[in-house]
Order: sequence, then structure tokens, then C-alpha cells
Amino acid sequence: MKYLSLLTLILVISCSQKTEKLIEWKSIEADLQTLLIQAQDGDTIDIPEGNFMFKNPLILDGVANVIFQGAGMDKTILSFEMQESGAEGIRAANCTNLVFRDFTVQDAPGDNIKITDTNGIRFTNVKSQWTGEPSEENGAYAFYPVLCKNVIVENSIAIGSSDAGIYVGQSDSVIIRNNEVYHNVAGIESENSRWVEIYGNNAHDNTGGILIFDMPGLTQSGHTTRVYDNDVISNNHENFAPEGNVVAVVPPGTGIMMMATRNIEVFNNRIHHNRTIGTALASYVLVEALGAEEGSQLDSANNQINESYDPYPNNIFFHDNEFKNKHWFPTLENDFGLLFLRYFTFNLPDFAIDGIMPENEEFVMCLSNNGEFSFANIDAANEFEGRTTDWSVYACETGSIAPIFQ
Amino acid sequence: MRYFVFLIVLFFACSSPEKKKPIILEEVSLGVEEVVDYPKYLSELDLFESPLKELKPKRDRTFPYEINAPLFSDYAFKARFIHLPEGTKMTYNASEALDFPKGAILIKNFYYPEDFQKPEGDRRILETRLLIHEEQGWHGIVYEWNEEQTDAKRLILGKKVPVEWTDNHGELQRINYSIPSQPQCKSCHDLGGTMTPIGPSVRQLNRDNQLLSWEENEWIELPDEALPRLVNYMDEESALDARARAWLEVNCAHCHRREGPAKNSGLYLLASQTDPYRLGVNKPPIAAGKGSGGLKYSIVPGKPDQSILVHRIESLEPGEMMPELGRKMTHREGVELIREWIARME
Repeated sequence: MKYLSLLTLILVISCSQKTEKLIEWKSIEADLQTLLIQAQDGDTIDIPEGNFMFKNPLILDGVANVIFQGAGMDKTILSFEMQESGAEGIRAANCTNLVFRDFTVQDAPGDNIKITDTNGIRFTNVKSQWTGEPSEENGAYAFYPVLCKNVIVENSIAIGSSDAGIYVGQSDSVIIRNNEVYHNVAGIESENSRWVEIYGNNAHDNTGGILIFDMPGLTQSGHTTRVYDNDVISNNHENFAPEGNVVAVVPPGTGIMMMATRNIEVFNNRIHHNRTIGTALASYVLVEALGAEEGSQLDSANNQINESYDPYPNNIFFHDNEFKNKHWFPTLENDFGLLFLRYFTFNLPDFAIDGIMPENEEFVMCLSNNGEFSFANIDAANEFEGRTTDWSVYACETGSIAPIFQ
Repeated sequence: MRYFVFLIVLFFACSSPEKKKPIILEEVSLGVEEVVDYPKYLSELDLFESPLKELKPKRDRTFPYEINAPLFSDYAFKARFIHLPEGTKMTYNASEALDFPKGAILIKNFYYPEDFQKPEGDRRILETRLLIHEEQGWHGIVYEWNEEQTDAKRLILGKKVPVEWTDNHGELQRINYSIPSQPQCKSCHDLGGTMTPIGPSVRQLNRDNQLLSWEENEWIELPDEALPRLVNYMDEESALDARARAWLEVNCAHCHRREGPAKNSGLYLLASQTDPYRLGVNKPPIAAGKGSGGLKYSIVPGKPDQSILVHRIESLEPGEMMPELGRKMTHREGVELIREWIARME
């Protein structure tokens, strides 16, 4: 009997430790949305300290110079966990010079914050997250400016996105700096964006740390991006992106990945302990084949992609980065991991290219001053026949991209 | 043995990963003033005779209209009216909505007949949405009808209203009908960033001599050429392709077009679209997230079950479902049509 009470005691103690503290949610939905409707150019919308739950999206449209601010990142919490309508938590469109700062937004069924068709958008000191274990059920993007110009995401935190924590799509003149991103599939993803600076970020424990992608069939192609002074550490999380999304092909253990993009300078980054590949450079040809349904006729799809799309990366300048990897094995959950293990067993690559080269122009890539690292060209176009670890053809000093913002 | 059982209990009790459902404890005011830009009650707008619920226009320049292919709104019926100020006309536009004069009002009343087999019988009006053409552009406002059906009150935030009806198969249907919030108007009514009507285009209005009678009343001038027409997607006499494309246009293309809010997807669904890739054939999604349903292409010819488009028009989950707004149910007839269209696609 005494054991029984002892066990009961253990039960009570061990369970009570695990029970989440029940948050006392309040609703300010009616008033806050009314404020947003009445917002005039130049207004500041102040949200007090507290835990606030929303059932509908918060929408802001067509205003200029509006500041949306909380009382502090961990003081004002906006949750969309009970959302019943709409595809994103906070949505702004057709605005000029918006600032979002000093609050947390979380658990929207779709994206947490989507900003579209806006010139001038700044996120500062905002946490955007999905609470609980990372899950395929989480929304896609924590920060989602798309079709915007003059975008800044800084001093912010993104956690748990089933696609990308900080995603900037089809946008121009973008700064992503001094953020922390973790437990996302992609920590930071710049897609089809032009003139982008990504620096001073800490991307850790994502599936892939920093991605620079160019996808076909969109309103614009991306180029000209500088990635520097970032910590890209231990991005070894399992990939929990729903299939069909391009990030679903990113191997767990990827530091930096560039796809089909051009004019990219990557320097002074610490790329540590990403178990599968520190940095990868791929063509869309390879990524599409990886994502393709077996036996599907992708050639026909390829032919229909707008002709201006270029599926090959080019003009890549990669220098002064530091690789470390304490892991002995790449991920075994992904074809790339298996491929690296099979072909480069005792010399796992830190930097790999797929070797699928543009047909009508010279491929330019310079690798310099990256310390000791191992290289692989996997020659994916020829069943890996011509794979090589020799990178001497890419040992060049030339090439850098002028700072985008002076 | 007994201890073993306890250990199991311990294990299950503690490992249960189920997250607690959040509860909202109280509503808090931020001290915000009421929006007063338009009248609080629909009756104050003086558009309809009393009793209001009969929806009899007060003036002959407030007149009903019908369209060929309506947007699916949870099977709600819609009584639509146009109000034209004295001495004004609508202007012909071959592809988009007509150009309306300043002061024009587009009125859409959403209602459910008690019995769909007797659509003229008792009905419950839920909401009236207005698009008002002001000097500086279109404004959308929403009125929610009271249960007594005597008037409707301005609604800024969205609202769920329980509603039931007997459908065409004699089955009782019950849903929490969703009235959109005022700012959600522009989530759909957005053409190149500007608030714009969607429905009353010539292609939609071209039916039963509707446009000709308006021309006789001198409300519009029509060109001498043949007028374009969108098919009614429920009309089984029409070609499958035309029906499917009409359904996609009215339910999707207000956003999924080059000038629409979903242009970032690169998926364009106007009936005039000719590029199969733009329509989604073998096109991978861009930012679908879990909306992809684990599938790889928007449309896989011959395979509706592998097409993201079908998954999203069937889904009822916020963040996955398409359209994003305006429905709590799946449009069974529409989904069937799109399935058949994809199944027969080569």
C-alpha cells in the first residue's frame, strides 16, 4: 500500500510538471480590427501587454506610414490558434511604409504574417512562431513579405514554420539581419527576390539554414544577393514540410543552399555542424527531378515554363567562410545523404554542386579562402559518372557584389 | 505486476501529447469608437420599401440583375440589385465588370429559402453586402439582418450565424454561416490593388435579354458586335471544358489572375487563360504550405486525386481551403465538375 501512495505521488508530480500552464487568453479582436479599418496615414496602433486570441485575420489595407506595435516581444502575444476564417493571421496589402514591432504572433493555421504589394515594410523585434513540437500541421511562413519593395526583417525570431521562418518572395531591396531562426524547415528563404542582403543572422536547428532559390513561372526572377556574417549552425532538423513544396526536397543537415539563382556572394559565414552538406549549389533541373512524381512527364512541364526562366545557378562568389562538421554521417533520410555516403564515404563534402551546367553560357564560380573544406561535384547529369572532389577550376579570387545599400 | 500497471498508467498519463484547447476568458475594450462613415441600419439607406424583407426597390433606377455563373457561397441564394443615380449610365466593358457611375450602389442580399424546392416560399435573409461607388472609389460595407427580418445592422467584424434549410434532395442542412468582416471585402474585390466589383461583367450579365432591356431603359449603351457570354457551369448542355473553366473563373480568378491578390502563385484561372502551365497543369505549388495536401502539382491530367487544386477546393481547413473565404461547405457539384474535367484531361 505504501508503494501505491508513493507511485501516485510520482504520478502526480511527474505529470504536473508536464502540464502546460493554461494561458488566460483575452479578446481584443473587435476593437483592434476596428482600429485597423479606421487607421489613417501616419497612425500608430498600440497593442497593450497581454495574451490575445483571434478568430479572424487582422487585415490592414491601403495605408501609409502606419506603425503596429506591441508592448514588447514577450509581453504582447497575439495567437491565431482558434482562427476560423482566412488563410493568415495578420495580413496587409497595398500599403506604404509599415512597421511591425515589439510583439509575438503565433499559431495561425496558414501563415502568421503575410504582407503583399507593399512598398516599405519593416519588422523589428517580432517573434513569429508555432508553439509545440514542429509539425507538418504548422503554417508555412512565419514572416511572409511577398511582391514587396524595401523590406527589412531585423532583430526578430521565427520558430516552427513548416516551410520557411523568414521568407521573402518576389521582392526587391531586402535586408534580413540579426534574426534568430530555428525549428523551421527553412530558416531563411529568399525566393525570386532581387537585391537582398542577409547578414548577422543565427540560423540553427532548422532542416536547412539559409536558402536562396529561384522558381519558375513567377512574376520575376531573383538575383543579386549577399549572405554574410551569419551563424549557420547544426541545421539537422528532420524535414517536416508537406510534400509538393520545394523545401520538402531539402536534406536535413543543410547549411546554405542556392538554387537556380545568380550574382550571389557568400562570405564570412560560420557554417558549422550541418551534417549532410555545409553549402549546396543546385540547378532547378535537379530539384525538380527530386520532387517529381516517379514516371511523371516533367519535360513537358519544363517546356511550358516561361522562357525567361534560367534553371542554372551562375556567378557565385563564395569566400572567407568557415566550415566545421562534427558529424560522421550525413542524414540517411534523404537521397543526397545516401549519395554522399556512397560516393564520398571518407571525404564527406562541405560544399557540393550538382554539376548540371548551363548550355549557352560560361559557368562562373569562385571559391577562395574558406579554410580546409572538402568539395564535391556530383555530376548529377551523368549518373554521377564524372563526380570529382577537385575544385581547382573554381579557385579564383575575382568577383564580389557591391553592397546593395550604402 | 501491479506496479507495472501503474508504470503504464504513469507513462500514458504523462506522455499524452494532446495540447489543451485554448479558451477566451473575456473580451477587453481598447476604447475604440464606433465606425460612423455609413448608416448603422440598412433601412436608413432608403433603398427598399417597407417591409424591408420583401426587397422591393423604392425607385425604378434600383433594379435587380442576374448572372450566368455565381460564386459558390455555401448554397446561399443571392438577390442582387444595381442602383444608378438619376441621369447616369453604366459603360460597356468587354472583359471586366461594367464601369459604373459615381453614386452607383451594388446590392447583394444573401438568403436561404426554408425549402430549396420552394425557393419562392419562406426565406431567411442573413446579410446584405453593398459596394458603394464614392468619389474616391468603391467601398464595401456589410449589414447583418435581425431574426425578425425587420432590418439589418452594420457589421464591421465577421460573424458566424447558425442557419438551416432543406436542400434540393429533401435533406436538412445545418451550418454556421460565415458573414465576412468588412476588411475581408477587399481580399477578393482587389484588382491591381484597387477595390473593384467582380460579378457584373457583360459576360456574366449577358442572359435573357437582360442587357437589351437595360439598353431600352437607357441605362447602358451596347456595341453593335455580338456580346461575350460566360456559360452557366451547371448547364449540362454546355461543353465540359467551358463549364469547368467558368466555375474556376468565378470561384478562383478574382484572386488567381495577373492583377489579383494571388498573382504571386503564378496560377491564373481566368476562362481566357490559354497556357496549360498557368492553369496548373504539372505546375508545382509556390507557397501552398500544407495546402499542397502532400501532392506535387496543381493539376495532374487524368488524375483528380493527385491534383492539389481538387484537394484545396474540397478542403474545409483554414490555411488549406480555396477559396480562402466565403465558404464553410464543399461545393459538391463544382468539385464533381472539376474532377471530371481533370479526369478527362490528356
